[in-house]
Amino acid sequence: MRKSNLHFCGYNDTINKIMKRGMDMLSKELCEKVLEVAASTGADYAEIYANRTVHHTIHMIASKVDAVKDSVIAGVGIRVFKGLRSVNTSTVDTSEAGLIRCAQQAAEALGQGTAQIDIHLTPMTIRDIHPVRQIPAQMANAEKVAVLKEAYFAAKEHDSAITQVTGTLVDVDHNILVANSEGVYAQDRQIRTRMAISAVAEMGGETQTGSHAPGSRKGMEMFEEIQPASIGIHAAKQAVVMAGAGYCPAGVMPVAIDNGFGGVIFHEACGHSLESSSVAFGRSQFADKLGQQIASSKVTAIDDGTIPNAWGSINIDDEGTPGRRNVLIENGVLKGYMIDKMGGRRMGMAATGNCRRQEYSFAPTSRMTNTYIAAGTDSREDIISSMEYGLYAKQMGGGSVNPVTGQFNFAVTEGYMVRNGKICEPVRGASLVGKGSDVLMDIDMVSSDLAMGQGMCGSSSGSIPTNVGQPMIRVSSITVGGR
Amino acid sequence: MEYLAFKDLVIAKAQEMGLAEYEIYYQSNSGIMANAFGHEIDQFSANSDGGVCFRCIVKGKMGYASTEELSPEQAASIVEKAMDNASVLEAEEPVFLVSGGQAYTPIQRENPSIPLAQDLVQRVLQVQGMLYATDPAVTEGSITRGIGLQGRIAICNSKGLDLDREYTTNAIMVGAVVTDGTDKANDYQLEIGDIAQIDAQALTRKATGIALSKLGGEPAPTGVYPVVFDPEAMSDLLDTFSGIFDGEAAQKGLSKLKGQEGNTIASDVVTVIDDPFHPENPMSMSFDAEGSPTYRKNVVEKGVLKTLLHNLQSANMAGVATTGNAYKGKYDSPVGINPFTMHIAPGEWTEEQLLEKAGNGVYIRSLSGLHAGANAITGDFSLQSEGYMIENGQKTTHVNGFTVAGNFYDLLKNITAVANNLTIPSPTGITTYGSPSVLVENLSVAGK
Repeated sequence: MRKSNLHFCGYNDTINKIMKRGMDMLSKELCEKVLEVAASTGADYAEIYANRTVHHTIHMIASKVDAVKDSVIAGVGIRVFKGLRSVNTSTVDTSEAGLIRCAQQAAEALGQGTAQIDIHLTPMTIRDIHPVRQIPAQMANAEKVAVLKEAYFAAKEHDSAITQVTGTLVDVDHNILVANSEGVYAQDRQIRTRMAISAVAEMGGETQTGSHAPGSRKGMEMFEEIQPASIGIHAAKQAVVMAGAGYCPAGVMPVAIDNGFGGVIFHEACGHSLESSSVAFGRSQFADKLGQQIASSKVTAIDDGTIPNAWGSINIDDEGTPGRRNVLIENGVLKGYMIDKMGGRRMGMAATGNCRRQEYSFAPTSRMTNTYIAAGTDSREDIISSMEYGLYAKQMGGGSVNPVTGQFNFAVTEGYMVRNGKICEPVRGASLVGKGSDVLMDIDMVSSDLAMGQGMCGSSSGSIPTNVGQPMIRVSSITVGGR
Repeated sequence: MEYLAFKDLVIAKAQEMGLAEYEIYYQSNSGIMANAFGHEIDQFSANSDGGVCFRCIVKGKMGYASTEELSPEQAASIVEKAMDNASVLEAEEPVFLVSGGQAYTPIQRENPSIPLAQDLVQRVLQVQGMLYATDPAVTEGSITRGIGLQGRIAICNSKGLDLDREYTTNAIMVGAVVTDGTDKANDYQLEIGDIAQIDAQALTRKATGIALSKLGGEPAPTGVYPVVFDPEAMSDLLDTFSGIFDGEAAQKGLSKLKGQEGNTIASDVVTVIDDPFHPENPMSMSFDAEGSPTYRKNVVEKGVLKTLLHNLQSANMAGVATTGNAYKGKYDSPVGINPFTMHIAPGEWTEEQLLEKAGNGVYIRSLSGLHAGANAITGDFSLQSEGYMIENGQKTTHVNGFTVAGNFYDLLKNITAVANNLTIPSPTGITTYGSPSVLVENLSVAGK
């Protein structure tokens, strides 16, 4: 990659391409016509969302490229609102007749009535804050395979205990268009690249796994900053360490959760419960708590869709609202929620640039972008040395939450026991469970080393890229599942 | 353009490119959904999607490309892309397409029709009313959702295969949120079938009853216990770990069952069946994702592993015939392996008898975070759980916010009794899982 002779696409070129591509997707005139049909039975809001997305995946196992997947996902979703009711229809038929049919279906489902709103679209120029240099779609398979192999074999050859490695390189070229009755007519091109390496190690009959999967809203230039080999080595090291680990003891103890993907604890324990899809529908423990202390004063948490080139970043959300930086919790006090237009109607609040959907066939809703606990003032060393007996959770797996009760769980994929302020032996099979409102109050130390990790977040509007993040934190007491 | 016209263009392009072996796989889905919140329909949707996957064999490698845009440009493009993608493949395992003219088990069920939008809306509002009427504790956040889905899968290839299957699923789901003034709890229940015929009283009462029983509660005391998993919790575990029966995963060192056919891998009370025609699953399939005929089989019989699951490639590598378990997650996915309705066969005991046998232990009704707290390769799991303490053979205190941990390979051997209450909790796809209640010795519980 570092010696690629590909066309380098500058900032202005990127804007031009976005605009041109957008115009190719659906013209302003066609969108106006379709929105008029959609709103013809009395809707007070009508919206068209179109996406044309090219997914490209290269997969390796047993040291060979065994699958290459190439697919084009393209279609249109139409939504209409009337008061607190919403109707969503979608189609793969993007001909004018197909779109009109889809709009009629939405209008009929909304009910009987006459048009209440006028449709006038104004093309919106988006400032692309996530410029991409090496567009993956313009690169040959062979060049991408070379990058994947660098990571793959770094893992395979890291240690003789490594028995199997799988590797995936995914690039997504996601073009969206949003047109709505508020006059928005906007397009965005979201290019994302991600590599995932998973390694299996076997020692003395025990099998364990390690994985690493960095991604970004960039093209192949992401591998200039992250050496592919480092991804493989990260995965392999973890597998080897864990293969030599015993089971984590069960109990209630203090836990130091490392920076980066450790932020999944906030994502699960709190983030989902601050989405308007929970708050506005009586399914959040944090409803009606604005201005109240919901976390320890050490905790400031932010959802920021505007971090340049970050995995969860957007220029506009999937309702056309520009991405924003939203402070959710400041020094423990609840400051805001993540709100889409319909959630905003129920809550009497404005949309916050958090409306997202996987693609046209999913009804959009409030989702996270890049969500993190802000840097604090403690040091990592102080956190570890403060613990007489506890767990150091170096690497987290995923987790889940029930926003109604706030009960969450997540997996520790690489953990170590801490005794007398020292990191000791590795332990496997640990998970952390608790209640969001409790764990937020129990975060009693926050270090200064903020970092992010990448994930795909699954919810009612599909699977979307989100960043989680935090500095190292200490939770004074939490249930550790083990044996 | 329509699929049939698109298919002709793809075939013409494949022939023009001199391809001798290729396949066209088409999948389309459409559906309607109405959701009630409070006493109104707050969401209604009507969606359709679908696309075509083209794959072809070039110099012994199988290349894939897919599209949802059925246009002349894309018809040519997917053929070219699939050929290009084949050219970078390195895996040396032979690849195959199925020949036409094989015998398939006919599907005995009729597809119900999808309800009309207004009928669905009315029924959903009616059920939502019943949900609120079940108990004064039912509160804001409770929903009823009605769903009607139809889909079609069609596969044709250059070897004379030409298969087509349409299916429909109608269902009502209720989500009850209850409160006792301070605490909140919820439960979801789903019932498949004709939405007018579904016993909505029973469904709403069940969701409300379970939600009420989840109020309050405390973590179970930390320790090692006999554990009774209810059918839903055990189905979820089987779902999470079903990959251990994947023939390809075994060949690649991702399952410990490699070469274990004929060996005892579970206690002798355990029989695991894979059934493409299970009467409770509306999506019966007489052919798999490669077009091979499907059949019912014992994967584990009285504790002995009888077979792993195979598609054409993994079967060839293992020197056996395909088990008809080729699978695609979506039309554009590469062919992998999955079961159809995989379930543990019912045993001879009632659930009450399992509780008696357990004596003092933990009853687990639901597990959370299975995508995170379980490792399908190692078999390890540590999962957030909810259920009851078992004391003197009876369910007693409600417990939640604790974990149960173990290893699935060990768990299979430690199942000491299987109940007769086989349930398929959520038969909403080609692949689904079921189980009766089971009693497992020696699982670690972490709580207070």
